[in-house]
Amino acid sequence: MTVLAVDDLFRSFGGIHAVDGVTFDVEQAEIVGIIGPNGSGKSTLFNLLTGVLKPDAGTISLFGRNITGLAAFRIARAGLGRTFQIPALFVNMTVRENLWTAAVQFDWDNARADADAVLERLELTHVADDLASTLSGGQQRLLEMGRVLMQNPKVALLDEVAAGVHPRLRQIMLDAIRGLRDAGTTFLVIEHDMELAQDICDRIIVMDAGKIVAQGSFEEISHDPHVMEAYLGVPTSE
Amino acid sequence: MSRPASGGNPYLNLGVLVLVVAALSLLPMMTTPYYIRIATGIAMWAGIALSWNVICGYAGYISFGHVAFFGIGAYTTAILMQPQHDWNFWATLPVAAVIAGAVAALVGWPALRLKGAYFAIATWALAEAVRELTTILKFTGGSGGLTTPIRNDDNFFFYTMLAAAAIAFAVCYVLLERSRFGFRVKAVRDNEIAARAQGINTTLIKIEAFVLSAIIPAVLGGINAYWITFINPQSVLNTIITDQLVVMVLVGGLGHAWGPALGATALFLLQEQLRVSYGETTAYIIIVGALVMAVVLFLPDGLVSLARRARRMRLVRQLIGRTRQEATP
Repeated sequence: MTVLAVDDLFRSFGGIHAVDGVTFDVEQAEIVGIIGPNGSGKSTLFNLLTGVLKPDAGTISLFGRNITGLAAFRIARAGLGRTFQIPALFVNMTVRENLWTAAVQFDWDNARADADAVLERLELTHVADDLASTLSGGQQRLLEMGRVLMQNPKVALLDEVAAGVHPRLRQIMLDAIRGLRDAGTTFLVIEHDMELAQDICDRIIVMDAGKIVAQGSFEEISHDPHVMEAYLGVPTSE
Repeated sequence: MSRPASGGNPYLNLGVLVLVVAALSLLPMMTTPYYIRIATGIAMWAGIALSWNVICGYAGYISFGHVAFFGIGAYTTAILMQPQHDWNFWATLPVAAVIAGAVAALVGWPALRLKGAYFAIATWALAEAVRELTTILKFTGGSGGLTTPIRNDDNFFFYTMLAAAAIAFAVCYVLLERSRFGFRVKAVRDNEIAARAQGINTTLIKIEAFVLSAIIPAVLGGINAYWITFINPQSVLNTIITDQLVVMVLVGGLGHAWGPALGATALFLLQEQLRVSYGETTAYIIIVGALVMAVVLFLPDGLVSLARRARRMRLVRQLIGRTRQEATP
């Protein structure tokens, strides 16, 4: 079943086409990786999907419902959760309160118990009552992942969620992603770490200069001449 | 089912509130009208400072026009109590609250899209606009102001002001520290984009917080108008009122439930003591300026953090004591 359908999406900033005619579908419980060089439009695409930015043209459908241009909070309520490239935590709240806040629009009645379970799962219990601002970079990314777990979204968009994370914490995070996927959650993951992308992604979409230049399994895209060109600067014709 | 809550032990906080109110309620039986008036003033300032703490301390939006709502409340009560309308005092207070709330919603809708200094300037402009309007409009009495019926009963105003401030505290504590509304407000303060990503309608939450913060000074302003029996733009719409309540919150502790009450008590008593000792003097402004600098430098979390520091010091002393005992052969 198609969960997320993106059709001919455009967004430009002045003369720069940040997202230029992007079209793709994501199936339920699929983990789709989005890779591409810096400035290829990955984060802009996430911002369009989550309503932070409005597209100039194109449509986005979530479970067949057109969510194009909806306010970010409405898209979140429709079941699309996300993390940010630079962790966007509630810095004056404790770790536990950050998790509770992620449930204010969702399962508030069970938020306390759910947060305790997430803290344990992500091994954050020992810092539960510390301010989020005092966490290490890796723990901050774990906490963002924890907020996604609290929301229990139908589709989760993870923006470089494992960047700079200690290998042990990274394993915890990957286990959490796989656990959610097994429960039916769909993932769209921006990742620069090819090893990680290969490890968890069912399919990879490669972007360059705002366009999709290749998509397929990791094996397929790793031999794709467009990908070689985008990443290594080797011209397609060679 | 287990709903989250922050802000410390509710039984302790609300229990302390009940104890403070109960203790203060005995004041009229124990002291002179002069001190009753001082206590009435402290209750009023604590309430107004508390309201500013809602929009700034909890929602993260600095309002430099909060005096507008105090003035709207004062004028609503004063106008409705004029002989031609002859409203009962109590009936004027809900009207004051509704008008101030409506103005806050109307102004907040566009203004809360602004951030930082821009929002502060917009609210300052609101206060100036209200002040100018009351100066030129006929039904507000122009610069000459309005008088309200005289009620020579200090105890009545003390109990009314105390009850209003206590109710405001209890409502704000429950809403901001014990309900999901509070988490939404604080999420907006900390990171608006992340708050939206959690499904929070940030525009609506900001307006709700602004309305809540406008209702409280309006009610207190209404009580004040009846208490002081004469109001004009200079007395209830003076920008010094906003300045003073901002300083009270900063000195007491921004974003803390008890901060405004502590700050209001400390500064009002200081102001009164200076007035008694040196008469009407501008020395107060110099002292307040020095106090603000001292707080910013040495006590950035305000007076409320003193208790935490004292606890920490006690803990350090205990630890040192234990270490010494262990080191003793």
